[in-house]
Amino acid sequence: MKDEAKIILDICNKILLKNVDHHLRLNLEPISTQFKTLKDEIISSELTKLLVKEDLGGAGMTLTDIIPIVQLSAQYGTPIPFIETIISNFLLSELNVKPENDFITLTNKTENIQIKKDKISGNFKSIPYLNLVEKILVETEIKNQKYIILFKKGGKLKLQKNFLSEPKFDLDASELEIISMMEKPEQIDVQNLLINVRSIQSFGAMEKILKLCIEYCSQRKQFGRTLSKFQMIQNHISEIALEVAASGASLSTLKNNNKNFYNLKSTAIPKIRTGIASGKVIALSHQVHGAMGFTKEYELSYFTKALNSWRNEFGNEIYWQNILGKLFLNQNKNLWEFLNH
Amino acid sequence: MTYFNFPHIEEDDNLKNLRNDVKSFLKTTFNSNNIKPQADAWMYSANPEFSKKLGEKGWLGMSFPKKYGGREKTMLERYVITEELLVAGAPVAAHWIADRQSGSQIIRYGTEEQKKEIIPKISSGECFFAIGMSEPDSGSDLASVKTFAKKTDDCWELTGRKIWSTGAHLSHYMIVLARTEKLDEKNRHSGLSQFLVNLKLPGVEINPIEDMTHQKHFNETVFNNIKLNKDALLGEEGMGWQQVVGELALERSGPERFLSHYILLDNFISEFRYKMSEMGITSLGKIISELQTLRMMSFSIAWMIQEKKSPDVQAAFVKEAGNVFEKKLIETIREMSNLIPFEKWSSSLKSLFQDATLRIPANSLRGGTSEIMRGIISKQLGLR
Repeated sequence: MKDEAKIILDICNKILLKNVDHHLRLNLEPISTQFKTLKDEIISSELTKLLVKEDLGGAGMTLTDIIPIVQLSAQYGTPIPFIETIISNFLLSELNVKPENDFITLTNKTENIQIKKDKISGNFKSIPYLNLVEKILVETEIKNQKYIILFKKGGKLKLQKNFLSEPKFDLDASELEIISMMEKPEQIDVQNLLINVRSIQSFGAMEKILKLCIEYCSQRKQFGRTLSKFQMIQNHISEIALEVAASGASLSTLKNNNKNFYNLKSTAIPKIRTGIASGKVIALSHQVHGAMGFTKEYELSYFTKALNSWRNEFGNEIYWQNILGKLFLNQNKNLWEFLNH
Repeated sequence: MTYFNFPHIEEDDNLKNLRNDVKSFLKTTFNSNNIKPQADAWMYSANPEFSKKLGEKGWLGMSFPKKYGGREKTMLERYVITEELLVAGAPVAAHWIADRQSGSQIIRYGTEEQKKEIIPKISSGECFFAIGMSEPDSGSDLASVKTFAKKTDDCWELTGRKIWSTGAHLSHYMIVLARTEKLDEKNRHSGLSQFLVNLKLPGVEINPIEDMTHQKHFNETVFNNIKLNKDALLGEEGMGWQQVVGELALERSGPERFLSHYILLDNFISEFRYKMSEMGITSLGKIISELQTLRMMSFSIAWMIQEKKSPDVQAAFVKEAGNVFEKKLIETIREMSNLIPFEKWSSSLKSLFQDATLRIPANSLRGGTSEIMRGIISKQLGLR
C-alpha cells in the first residue's frame, strides 16, 4: 500500500473507531448528534472525495487504492452513505463534474424515466440511505443511451420492508430538479462497479463476524469450559475463517487493475465466492452465538443482515454462476485458457 | 483486522511465456512417447523417463541454487510449471515429492555434502524421495512417532516403521522424522529430529500396501536397526518438529490440492460443451469461481514461500478448501450426469470419473486430515 493510502486509512480508522457503534446503528436519525458528528468528520476530512481527480479537488486515488477503505467501513458496520458518496463522487469526477460536499446516494434500478427540460420523473428502486441525503445519483437508460443524472430528492419515499441492516427506499418521483446530466462513458460499467463494492463490503463484514465469534466464544462459559475449547465450536469457527480467507482471495483481481472493476469475469468471481461464503458465515456465526446472536441489542445481527442484503443484490450467486458459466461457454476457449486469460 | 492475508500476485509476461513453453513441451512429449493423461497423476502416475525429460528441460529443482545444480528460478515459475503438469495429467509421481518438499528441506537444513550429492540428481529428475512421517500408531498425531534414532559414537541406529509412504518402492531416499529423545508428554514436540535415509541401505524393508483402488502406490517402510552415518542427520538434532512444520507448508499449499482431478472436468466439458443444461452451466460457473479463487490463494502462498515468509496456516486453508472443492467437483459432475446419462459418456471419460470417485476419499487424508487443518486454523485464531 502506498504511504498516502496508509495515512488515509489511518484517518478513516480513527474517525470510525471514535464514532461508529451499535447505538448509532440502532438509532440512526439525521438529527442525532452522533450521526451529525460522524458526518461532519467524514466530510471535513474529505474522505468522500478520495476517488475524485486532483484537479477537481479530490485525492486522485484509484478504485484499487480504496479497497481497504471499503473493507474497513464494512468491518465497522458503518450505517451511513459513506461508500455510496465516494462512488457517486467518483462517477461525477469521471464526467468532469465537481464532487458534492455532502452525503449523496445512488442507484441504477430505475423505471419509467422521463426527462422534461431540467426535471426528472420516474420510479427509483432500492436506494440506500435516502433518508440521510438530499441528492441522488442515478444511472438510467433513455432511448438506448445510458445517462448519469444527479438530482434533488423529493417525491414519495417508501421504506422497503426487508431483512436489511441498511435502510433502502423506493422513490416515485415527479419532476424533480436535475443538477447534472451526462451521457455515461462507454468504459464505465456502473452495475459491475457497484457489485464489486458489495463484494468488498461483504468480505469486510465477514471479517468482523469472525472477530465477534472469536471474542464471544473466548468469553462465554458453558459446562464449566469456555465455548472456544469445544471442538465443534472450533470447527465452526475455522470454517468461517476459511470462507473469509477465500472471499478475500477472490477479490484479488480487483487489486490488480482498475479496469477489472468493470470486467464481467472479474466481477462474477468474487460476487459468487463471497455470496457462497456469506451463506455459510451467516448460518455458522448464528450457531456459534446461540440466542444472543438473535437479539437486536447484540451487533452480530447487523452484520448478518447486511450480508443477506448484499448477497441478494444485483442477482444472487446462482444467477451469477449462470452468467459466468455462459461467459465461458460462449468463448471459443478451453477452460484453462479461459481461466488464464 | 485482516486475519489471513493472501497478497495479490500478478502473473507477468515471463510466467505466461513459461506456461506456453510447458504446454508445447507436454504436447510433443505426450505424442512422441504415447503418454496418456491421468487424473491424480502426482500420486498414481510415475514415469522416471518423463521425470528425466523434465530435468533436462530445467523444470525440476527450479528454486535451488545453481551451485548445487538447481536453476535459481522463482517459486512462482515453479508454480506455473506444476500447474501445467497437473492440468495435463502428466506422469509426475516419481519426482513429485523430491521436487516439492524434500529438496527444499535439504537446501535449508542439509550439509554441504548432502546438497552437493543429492540436489543435482533431484534437479535432473533422477533422484526420488518418499515422505517418512506417518507411522502405524501415529497418523494425525505426528508428535507421537515412535521410530527412534539412537546416537552411538560413530553413527545413528534407526529403528521403526513408517507407513503410507507413497512411492517408497521407486524412491532413493526418505526424510524420516524420528525421536532422538524419549517422549516428554509435557513437551511433545521436543526431542524429534529428521534424517536423510538412503532406502537402499541394508535393513530397510519396503512392503507394498494395496489401496482400495487396487493400486500399490503406498508402502510400509521398516527400518531394522539400520546404521546411518552421523551426517544423515538433517538439520539440527531435536529440531525435527520445527523443520517438519515448514515441510508440511510446502506439501499442503500447492495446486495439486485442487487440480488433481482437473483433467476429468476438462474432459467432461470437451465432451458435453454443447449439451449442457442450465443447471450444468450454473454449476460450471460455481466451479470456475471456486477454482480461480483457490489458484489465487495457492499462487500467493508460492510467493510467500519465495519471500521466506511462513505461510503454514495459509497452506492449511488451501489444503482444506482444495479438498472440499475436489469432492464437490466430482459430486457436481455426477449430478450433471443426471441429464447426460453415463451411457452417453465416452469410455475414457467414464474411466476418469470412476478413478476420481474411488480415489477422492484419500484427498482429505493425505498431507494431513481436515480435522488437523481445522485444528491448525483454530490454534492460529487463539481458540486452543
